[in-house]
Parts: sequence; structure tokens; C-alpha cells
Amino acid sequence: MADYPLINAQGLGKTYGSLAVLIDANFSVSAGEIRALVGSNGAGKSTLIKILTGAITPTSGMVEVNGVEVQLGRPTEMIRSGIACIYQHSNLAPAMTVLDNIFLGRQPTKRFGFLDRKRQRQEAEELLQRHAIQIDLDALVSTLSTVKQKEVEILKALALNARVLLMDEPTGWLAASDVRKLHATIRALKERGVGIVYISHMLDEIFSVCDTVTVMRDGRIISEGRVADIPRPKLVKLMVGEKLAKDSAQAGKFKRMAGGTGQVRLSVNSLTKRGVFSDISFDLHAGEIFCITGLIGSKRTEFLHTLFGSDQFDSGELKIDGKVVSFKSPAKAIASGIGFMTEDRHREGLMLGLSVSNNLVMATLKRFQKWALLKHKKIHSDTGRMIADLNIQPPDRAKLVRLLSGGNQQKVLLGKWLNLKPKILLLDEPTVGVDVGAKAEIYALLRAERDKGAAILVVSSDLEEVMTISDRIAVMVSGRLVAIHDADRTSLSEIISEVGGVVQ
Amino acid sequence: MNARLSSQSIEIFRGLAPYALPLVILFIVIMFSIAEPAFLKPENLVGIIHQMNLIGIMAVAMTFVIMTGGVDLSVGPVLALSGLTAFFAMDAGLGLPIAIAAALIVGILIGMLNGTLISILGLPPIIVTLAMLSVVRGFALIWGGPEWHLIRNQDAFTFIGTGHIGGISFSIVLLVVFAGVVMFAQNRTPLGLMVSGIGENERAAYLSGHRVRLTKIAIYGLSGFGAALAGIVQSSQVHTSAAVYGEFGTELDVIAAIVLGGTSLMGGNGSIGRTLIGVVFLGVINNGMNILNVQLDIQLITKGVIIVLAMALSELK
Repeated sequence: MADYPLINAQGLGKTYGSLAVLIDANFSVSAGEIRALVGSNGAGKSTLIKILTGAITPTSGMVEVNGVEVQLGRPTEMIRSGIACIYQHSNLAPAMTVLDNIFLGRQPTKRFGFLDRKRQRQEAEELLQRHAIQIDLDALVSTLSTVKQKEVEILKALALNARVLLMDEPTGWLAASDVRKLHATIRALKERGVGIVYISHMLDEIFSVCDTVTVMRDGRIISEGRVADIPRPKLVKLMVGEKLAKDSAQAGKFKRMAGGTGQVRLSVNSLTKRGVFSDISFDLHAGEIFCITGLIGSKRTEFLHTLFGSDQFDSGELKIDGKVVSFKSPAKAIASGIGFMTEDRHREGLMLGLSVSNNLVMATLKRFQKWALLKHKKIHSDTGRMIADLNIQPPDRAKLVRLLSGGNQQKVLLGKWLNLKPKILLLDEPTVGVDVGAKAEIYALLRAERDKGAAILVVSSDLEEVMTISDRIAVMVSGRLVAIHDADRTSLSEIISEVGGVVQ
Repeated sequence: MNARLSSQSIEIFRGLAPYALPLVILFIVIMFSIAEPAFLKPENLVGIIHQMNLIGIMAVAMTFVIMTGGVDLSVGPVLALSGLTAFFAMDAGLGLPIAIAAALIVGILIGMLNGTLISILGLPPIIVTLAMLSVVRGFALIWGGPEWHLIRNQDAFTFIGTGHIGGISFSIVLLVVFAGVVMFAQNRTPLGLMVSGIGENERAAYLSGHRVRLTKIAIYGLSGFGAALAGIVQSSQVHTSAAVYGEFGTELDVIAAIVLGGTSLMGGNGSIGRTLIGVVFLGVINNGMNILNVQLDIQLITKGVIIVLAMALSELK
């Protein structure tokens, strides 16, 4: 493929009042290039992307697409010139077919505005052929796997003649095998001359699929180069700065506490929910981090909800400190000292339009009230201390959570549950869409909580994470626990083979 | 250059946003008083407040419902039924406290029934309360008949709507005290946080251990209470009660006042203080147009347009 720049941005800058969020950024993507864009949250990645999608107007600088300068700040102009963005969360209409989704809002029409279904199908099939993607055009999007849905989004972009795809955390919700499939699709696009900007926190993915990398920190582009020329530790250092890089490197060297203090906090006996999961048994000890890993769809989230009372199990027995319990509602579980950090922080976790401090006290209002009155002073002092402990940036308790970066939002969500001083803490994918620095911080917080004697149950598909934080590891396949290991006595390859094996 | 200018003006716009409503009210007041100096006369300004008394009470009571993304369309008929309850209770020789309590309890119960249907059965608020509007009006008509019931020789009851304390109408005092109590509940008790929590993210509120259903039943009960209180005040002001009071459009005025105060119909942030400002805004517009002799049909159209504009503005940010 000819190596000419599809996007050539020069001197881009963006300031809000006196705050500069993007400073003199030069950025280019060529045809057939997969360029990783990395950096901690708040490094300026999203500002750069939003300029390229036309969502915001830069304060300075210019962008050429295919050698022609484009007018900035106009989303339609950017789409017309061939830049498309695939967001982390799906933008598809689940109840419609793949075909309809691809052409949603701009179906080819015949005279009098009737849909030209024949032409629509023809165009879609050409597209599939040209990009060697296999997908059933008549399938409802809701019946497709997450990775197939991503492909539909890619097709939708290609149907608009996109020549550059901006992909924001494209694998955030995918299981490992699906990541490989998506990467194969991306490589095929590259072969056909599409330029790709790949934004991700997952270093493994960057090293496996990207050609070049642009590193951002504090609003500047601080490094650029071929992925092959940058060793992994150096990339981590560039991304997060010296101190956090050290923390993250050390994460693997922490002491494992398999079995914790030996005291059984939560005892799960043959828990079953018909058609969802069955016969799950294990003991969770005080002072240990117990990880359940597995593919997306292995029903781990559903399992956690039945522990927390937000869903009910059909049979089996649940004991806390030796006493049989079952919770009719989350309120009851929380009263027994169980916290549950849910997976989807936007849908199930946070109140985005409320302040950091309100979110931090949301699960523990009882602690902050005397008779019927709120103790504002206590809220003030406690949340101030928590913001410092959690290193929430900016350290402003009145800031709306919506305005925080993903990593800081996640820390708020974790803080809400740590505030409970939980005996048992359930966490579902605790670091999805969180940058390396915040990840290390979250791990440190979990270890500290464990060392204080909490029993911690983590569900995670991120094997790097599982190997890093767990004291014991269980593998769940299709609603069954297939193995439990002490983290010290197993290996990544063993876990991988169990996760991928014996499906059904 | 152009882009910079527009982004600057956006910044200024954002900075002014919290004061937008008072500024707009000020602007409209100035326009009205230039067009018709009588607008600024003290009697007229007091008149505005009196006109908005009932809407104010109901708007304060319904703010929480709107904040959770719900709505209560049944306030008009509840107002009528509450007035009838008070009348029949006094007519039967029961004392004033019992009559008032009975009227308020009717309102609270209907509100709680709304809340129960909405939260336990998961029915949409707009449908439930629309149906309730119809049902309650039907009951009121069966019970009260077509006639107007005169309330005679009930000095204490009459005082509620027409009496004065220290030169201020008792009904205004009632509104201020009621707003104060609800404002206190919003700012000083967990209820305020629970309501904004539900409005922002009901699922997250439930998973944070909030009793979402109970809270909803309570706030619909509060809305019913407000409508009943307004019903008592109105019956007292006009010395009658009738099944047709709280005519169609009452609920729209109440919702309009809340929305003009900046509370989003989609749920989320809102406050009693802002609702009161919205009430004043609506009152100024109504009164100004009356003073300028704008025809009723034009008034209705103008009001509708202003409501849509206000909503559009609140969704913009």
C-alpha cells in the first residue's frame, strides 16, 4: 500500500479558559497503518479524537484529510471526508437486522421515498466482499455476539466510505478469543488500505496488532515510533510516568494470601439458578482476594447478583460467618456488610449527574444520618479524606462525576463501597476501561482492604489482572466452576487452557 | 477567529446559566412594565403571588416526582376531591381538624396508590396518573354532583384562604412554610439524595441499597398531599367546593412551573427553590399578558411555546 497520510493534523491545541487540555499536537495516520494512541486518562486522547470526529473545535491548528484541509468542528464534514469513529459502547439498534443497521438513517431510496431494499442488499454484499467480512445480513443485531456487533459497527462506518477508523477501546467488553477475531478483521482492513487509530489501555493488544504508537501525557504528544522499536516497559513508563510505572511493575511481586486468615466468611454450597449457572461451591475467606475468571457469557455477573440479593438463586445454600442467609434485596445484603461494585459503572454504578461526594455516600446514607437528618459535616470531612485516599483527580468533592475520566469514575465507584467498610466485597470487572495508572491504584486499594481482613471476590476476564491480584483463582465455564487454584501454584497457560476448554 | 468567538460566547453562556432564569424574569418584568406601567404597582405584584398560590403549593409537592423522571397528571381532580371531602366532613358536623385531615389523607392515599402502581407494577407514570385523573374526576362527580357546595359559617376554614397574619395572606404563609419544610427535607435529610439518586440512575440507586419503591410511593404521596392542600385553600378562598375544580390544564401549569424552574422531565437534578422561581416566572407571564389584554387563545399558545423553549434550553446544557 502506498504510504501517504490519510490524516495529517498539525499544531492542534485546545484550551478551556486557562486550562490547556491539548498542546501543539501533530498527528498523522497513513493508509494501511494501525496506529495506537495511548496515554493515561486525562492525557488528551479523547480531546484529540473529538477534534478528529468534529465533536469539538480546536483552539489552534489544522487538519488535512487526504491532502485537503477540512473545516473543523463539524461532525458531518468529518464523516464526509472519510473519518469514522467506533465508540466503546455500541451505537446499534439491537432490534433491527444487520442490514438495516448498516444503512440506518440513510437507506437508498427509490422514487417517492420508498426503500430500495435490493440496492441496499447489493451494496452491503459488495462491502462484505471487499473487506472479506462474513456476517449474516438478516440476523437481528441483538442475537449477535459482542464481537460480531463490533463488526457491524465497522461495516456501518465503511458503508460511509470511511478511510480512517478511530476505534476507542474496541475490546473493552470482549473476551480473549473474540479479541483475536476482531484483530483479524482489523488486519484485513489494513490490507485494504484503511487507516486505523487504535485507542487502548491493553498493552498486549497494542503489541499484537499495531504498527506505530503515539503516546500522550498531560495534553502533549510525548513520543512516537514503531511499536517494534519500543520495549514494553519503556512504553509503560512513557504512558504513566516513572512512579506509577514502578508500582505497576511491582504489582506482580506482592505476597499471595491463599486462604487469607483461614476464617471462612462466605460459604457457597451448590448454588444453582436454573438455565443460568449450576452447582457452584466454594469458600471465601477473610483476608483473601478470590478471582473468578472465564469468558464473557460464562454467567459470572448473574452469579454475583444472586449473592447480593439483586437476583434470586433457585437452590443451594449461602452462609455468612456460618449463618445461612439469602437476601431479598440489595438493601439486606448491604446491611449484612456486603458491597458490590458492578461492572457497568454508567448503567449500574454511578449517578453521573451528581457530585463526587454524593456518589461516595450513596450506599451508606445510614452512616451519615442522625435520626432523620444528614450529617453534612461528617459527609464533608469523610468524603474529603476518601478523595485523598483514593487519589481522585481533580480532588474536588463538588465535581460532577460525569466530568471525571473513566479511571477516576471507577475510583469513585470503588470508594462508595469501601465507605461501607465491607466484610465481603464483590467486584465485577473492576478495571474495564481504566488506564494503567488507575489500575495499579485500584489494585493497591484492594490489597489494602484485603489486609484489613475483608473477603474479596473479583470477577474478571482480564487474565493479566487475575494473575496480578488474586490469591486464589477459580475458572467458570458456561455457568459451572471447573477449577479452583492457589494463585501461586498455577500458571497463566493452565488458566488459559481451562478458560477456553470444555465449553458446553 | 470565528470559532474562538463562538466558543467564548459559549463559555459566557455557561457561566450565566445558573442565573439565566432570574435574568429572564427580570427582562420580562422590565418589558411588561414599559408596555404597561400598572404592572409594577404593588397591588399587582401581590396579585401575581396570589394567583400562583395554588400552583405553587402543587409545584413544590410535585418537584420530587418530576426529579425521578415521573409525572403526576392527577392533581386537578385530587384538588377537587379534597375540597369536597372537607365540605362533606364539615357538613356532617365533624370538626375542622378532622375535615382538613380527611381531605389531606384522601390526597395522600390517591398519591400513594399512584406510587404503588408505578413502582410495584412498573407501569409508566404518565399512564397511571392519566388514568387516575379520569377515575378521581369520576368519583368526584358521583360524590359531589354537578352543583357547587357553599361553605357557610366556617370562619376558621375560611381563614385558611382569606385570612391574614401580620398583613400577609395566610395562604401565602402556608405556601412559604410548606416550601420551607420540603426544602429542608431535600437539603437536610437523606430523602433529597435518594430522590436525585433515583432520578439520575434508578438501577444504581437500587443496587446501592435504596428502597426505591418505598421512596417513590412516598413522593407520589407528597404530590397528592400538595394537591389536597391546594384543594383546601381553594375551597376556602371561594367558599365553595365543586367536583369540577382543578379543571383540565391545572396539571400543565404545575408541570410548566417546575420545568421552567429548570428541573428536567427526564429526571435528575432539580430543587424546590428553583421550582419557586419557575412559579414566579409563570405568574409573571400570565399576569403580564392579562394586563396587556392579550386574548386567552394567544395566551395559551404563548405559554405552550415558552414551556417547550424552557425544556429545550434545559436539555441543551
